[in-house]
Amino acid sequence: MASIRALVSRSAKLQQFAERSDEKYDGQIQELVASLRQSLSDQTLNFAANDPAVLDNFDPAADAITYLILLRLQIQTLQESSQQKIPTALLPSGTLWPKAVHYIKGFNPVQVRYVGNEWRQLIELVAHAAQSVSQPLLATKIIRDAMLRLDPSCSVFTSTHLLFVRLCLHAKSYGCALPILDKYICHFPGFTERGLSKSSPVLCARHETSAAFITARSGLSAPLTWRDQSRYFLYGGMIYMALKEWNKASHFLELVMSMPSLGPISMIMVEAYKKWVLVGLIEAGKLRPTPKTIAPNVLKIYQSIARPYLNLAQAFELGDLKRLNAEIDAAVQIWRDDNNMGLVSQVKDSLSAHALAGIKKIFAAITVSELSGQALSLPDNVEAAESEIASLIMSGSVSATLVHSPDHPEATRLRFPSDSALSRSSQELQVQNKLENEGRILEALIEGVKKRNQVLGLGPEYIDHLRMAQNWGASGDGFAIMGEDTGLEMDEDIMGDQT
Amino acid sequence: MDTLPDAFAPAQAGSSSMPANSGAKLGPVENTNSPKPVKVDDPPKFDLESYIANYTGRTRFNRLYLIGNTSTLLAVDALKLAITEAKNGRDVGQYEKAVRALAEASPGEKEASLDSVWVQDVQRSVRAQSERLEHELRGYKNNLIKESIRMGNEDLGNHYYETGDLLAASKAYSRMRDYCTTPNHIASMLFKMVNVYAERGDWMGVQSNVHRLRNSQSKPEDLQKNQPKILAALGLAQMHSGSFRDAATSFLAVDPSLSDTFNEMITPNDIAVYGGLCALASMDRNELQKLVLDSPTFRQFLELEPHIRRAIAFFCNSKYRPCLDILENYRTDYLLDLNLQRHVPALYTKIRTKSIQQYLVPFSRVTLDSMAAIFAPDVVGGEARPTGLNSPFVQELISLIKEGILDTRIDLERGLLVSSQTDPRTEVQAKTLDSLSTFNKEAHTRIIRAAVFHAGLEVQGDIEPGSREQMGARKGGGYRRGVVG
Repeated sequence: MASIRALVSRSAKLQQFAERSDEKYDGQIQELVASLRQSLSDQTLNFAANDPAVLDNFDPAADAITYLILLRLQIQTLQESSQQKIPTALLPSGTLWPKAVHYIKGFNPVQVRYVGNEWRQLIELVAHAAQSVSQPLLATKIIRDAMLRLDPSCSVFTSTHLLFVRLCLHAKSYGCALPILDKYICHFPGFTERGLSKSSPVLCARHETSAAFITARSGLSAPLTWRDQSRYFLYGGMIYMALKEWNKASHFLELVMSMPSLGPISMIMVEAYKKWVLVGLIEAGKLRPTPKTIAPNVLKIYQSIARPYLNLAQAFELGDLKRLNAEIDAAVQIWRDDNNMGLVSQVKDSLSAHALAGIKKIFAAITVSELSGQALSLPDNVEAAESEIASLIMSGSVSATLVHSPDHPEATRLRFPSDSALSRSSQELQVQNKLENEGRILEALIEGVKKRNQVLGLGPEYIDHLRMAQNWGASGDGFAIMGEDTGLEMDEDIMGDQT
Repeated sequence: MDTLPDAFAPAQAGSSSMPANSGAKLGPVENTNSPKPVKVDDPPKFDLESYIANYTGRTRFNRLYLIGNTSTLLAVDALKLAITEAKNGRDVGQYEKAVRALAEASPGEKEASLDSVWVQDVQRSVRAQSERLEHELRGYKNNLIKESIRMGNEDLGNHYYETGDLLAASKAYSRMRDYCTTPNHIASMLFKMVNVYAERGDWMGVQSNVHRLRNSQSKPEDLQKNQPKILAALGLAQMHSGSFRDAATSFLAVDPSLSDTFNEMITPNDIAVYGGLCALASMDRNELQKLVLDSPTFRQFLELEPHIRRAIAFFCNSKYRPCLDILENYRTDYLLDLNLQRHVPALYTKIRTKSIQQYLVPFSRVTLDSMAAIFAPDVVGGEARPTGLNSPFVQELISLIKEGILDTRIDLERGLLVSSQTDPRTEVQAKTLDSLSTFNKEAHTRIIRAAVFHAGLEVQGDIEPGSREQMGARKGGGYRRGVVG
């Protein structure tokens, strides 16, 4: 017990330094981490390895390091004794689960930067534990909050991101993933020589971007491979699809599609392209223009592999229900194999809504029987067309009214109100919100650009470029990239050098 | 007139001959007829004899031949005149073509049989003269006297032009370029080129030569003299390339001093008609009033064709029905015009569309019946439901709305055309949001790309089936099933 008191007092001592200068705090934390690690390897901490109650002496908000190391030690001990990856004590009904949750809910976000490996492993263990009892929902929310606690901007991609979206898909708690997905990722911790930064910053200090402390060395992210970020964006896109946020979904899919490649492309990208085609149809009613960031040769591969999808899009754009049905029936097996059957059926449903939106541009009022002759995308049968329209109006995707006239029961009229009839103030508010939202995103992106600019400016490629520029006798303009007002052109340029 | 090609010397019949290439030289005239021949049954308003008397040069034959092929009424007369015209010249190809056409239209005529004696005579003499001129040119070249070489080439070009070998003619003329010593020579050479290209139907060629003419360093007074012709040729070329607005500007700038100096290509009457129609099709009411009706120079042309003037005046006064009526009455004439025939449908559609557009400007809603009375009077008379969904007029409106030309919506219940009231504020907001989010997305994509490069996470995948990433994607798809279900 004496040792516990020693640990508590050491931790408390740390608190005094928290208010002082960053350097001193940094030194103290490093010392503490080193000594704890030392005692781990000396096995002098073994007295605390089996008793969860020991943890009650520590407060995650103040003693995040000690708490975490002890918790890990206990879990590890259990793992070794039970020969299981997830010991039963860690399962949601076990004794360690509440301790872990308690920690994840309240840890000190500055201190864990020094014990990134342990922190990440804990998150992973909790996620696996929740999954192993088929209750992934238990973990999604706490992991999300932990990620936001560690890095409120969430702009650095980590292996936890991927773990989290996977968990959300398993739990079908799509809304829960939004706070993370809506943050724009701007950085990746580099695991290659090129990506590793040589300098080691003061971890506990305030940093402009979280990229300063979430690095490959920090252990906050497991080593990444090129598949990870593609998967993350694909899964993220799928979550948006499930929530019918088509616009955001297609942005995520576009990110996957335009991943830079060293030559061959991956099936993940093709998968994203297929879904992107369908999402574009549902959202915009047509095949969207492909993003400029996709290389033409890559686009050709996409198009040749996803031929049935493009045929489907063609039939859709013609607005011909019969042809669309024929295309869908012709390739049922393909939709099934790609697991896109659900999306395809949504594409089919969205056809009449898009057709009606087109009709709305032309007509202010029209009878249903006239309409079904005009629009190929509606059923031939007048009654069927009428019920289809009625359901569209009820679902809110088209603003219109159906009017039955008593004299001519067969001539139901469809009337579209003009747009200005919409309530003005609510619309105004909506627009304002959207503008503010986009503005925030823009600010976040500008931060990303600045950071990227700086990193690229210090990279060996840019130095080489500078040297070349000097050789060419045009040294002056080479430094422009470090200035404030450089846009994205330079980024592109350097990317061009690498591809 | 001296700078112009005196290409059409009312030649003495029977000199030399043109061998087999008569097929190639017919190209341009056939082009104007393609893809499907236009047929006109109504009588035109002009008198054939006096009409054709306005023109000189090869265009006479081309115009007659076109009328003969287009108008069912005038076919025989026009083709007979064309045959006479061809026999006065030395172009065997023209003659044969006209005879063939006549034989089709009216086999009984005595002109419908080929005068093979004349044909052989002419062919022989043309061949002899070609050889003589080539021989002379070789002589000049040996003597290295620039002026002689230039004249030799010019003679050869004129000869080929007369006999219908347009390709060889343009080649001969372009060979003159190196031997031209004065700006005058250059201008005359370029005008010859313009004529040849125009007949070949190569309007791009006409345009480029016209630009060369404009940039040639002639003396100011010469330039002044050539200006009307240059502008007329330019306008014609622009009209043929479909840019009616530019064509109208060019025609409107033609000086009345043109009068009869360019009759081998275009007469002042033509300027009035072409310019007027192009302007009607491309300008709004204010511009028409200011640039066309009030123009002191173009007024003189318009006086030659008063109905065009009237049509424009009606349009400016928002009296669209009389304007369209006048144009409709003259449709036959214009379909029989060498240059206009191909463009009549496009021009008329544009004028009509523009009238509908202009008609709608003052209204926020207008009944379909009143519109149909102006723009589709024949429909109003003939059909049970002139403003029903299936009437051609309503279908026309629908297609105009679909193309985004009309910003209106149709209310079939009340028979109204309602203009869409757009709220500029909402529009600007929507546009801003759109451009902002587009920018954000693209910026994000590019940042990610740069970051991925920097972190060394570029895709190294392969596309072999059964590889790990495909299984991953499959697995991802597995969740998707849950999403949809």
